[in-house]
Amino acid sequence: MSASEDQSAVERVLAGDISAFEGIVRRWQAPLINLAYRFCHDRGRAEEMAQEAFLRAFRALNQWRKDAVFSTWLFALATNLYRSELRRIPARTMSLDEVAEPADTRASDGGLEDRDRNSAVRRAVLNLPSKYREVLILFYFHDMDVTAAARSLSLPEGTVKARLFRGRELLRSKLPQILAVPRLKEA
Amino acid sequence: MKRSTGRLATGKLSITRLADSEEVDRMLSSEDEILPSSGFAVAVMDAVRREAAAPPPIPFPWKRALPGMIVAGLVLVLALAAFIAVIVYLPMTSTIPQVSTPPSSLGQLGLHGGIESATKWTVLALLLAFVSVKLSMSLASGRP
Repeated sequence: MSASEDQSAVERVLAGDISAFEGIVRRWQAPLINLAYRFCHDRGRAEEMAQEAFLRAFRALNQWRKDAVFSTWLFALATNLYRSELRRIPARTMSLDEVAEPADTRASDGGLEDRDRNSAVRRAVLNLPSKYREVLILFYFHDMDVTAAARSLSLPEGTVKARLFRGRELLRSKLPQILAVPRLKEA
Repeated sequence: MKRSTGRLATGKLSITRLADSEEVDRMLSSEDEILPSSGFAVAVMDAVRREAAAPPPIPFPWKRALPGMIVAGLVLVLALAAFIAVIVYLPMTSTIPQVSTPPSSLGQLGLHGGIESATKWTVLALLLAFVSVKLSMSLASGRP
């Protein structure tokens, strides 16, 4: 994925060649859908949100100032959309009590199954207050890159770090049982 | 995308908390990737083409609406001024005559003056409303 490919595609679209937008869609469809999926954990809804993000990008293409890489602009636009969509219709989640003590958390040998634990942690993330949830989602989506997460959220890095710290503290307090049990693979 | 630049320097984390952090990192980093469905790009491009083919939205007719808005603003200011004048005028008519005029004629005078000024203001307000409605209707119909 090269930035120059994006730039030339954008220039062609702005010059009237709409089919050039397909290159952008094909290049960024998987990341945008996966980002949306992390916000809602619903495949159908993730695709709908990603489609809307592409449409908004198409409408606002002339607003990309080229001072940032196209992907940064696209992710910021998509993140804004996903955040407002999730505020409008929240993701289907369970309460934190249910997350903290899942009905079937222990395997026969007394340990928690990796998959169950991971899934419980992700559900717990979705149950966090939105400002911590969004930072956590973006941070892990961007492979733990605070700068990229801050750009996508249009927030200062310091704010992202503070929210990240607090978000993880909240997670730890909500999931003591899950985090305390050693993983099967390590046993 | 680069990795691990965002590890938080929390300073005095205990070993357990550090281990917890790494555990949370490990769990949340290993999120399953989903693949776009086969028709996704085509569906997006269809929507984009529809969007491009749609006529541009009709802009707000500022040129036509502006005179009406100015008149409406003036009417509002006049009405406000009239309201304030009435508020200031009424206590004066009710307090000043109390000292010098007999109560029987005072009521008649106040009532008379009140009705008279109210009628004037009502007529003025109706006139302004009529003019602004006529003006906005003629602007809207394109016959200035």
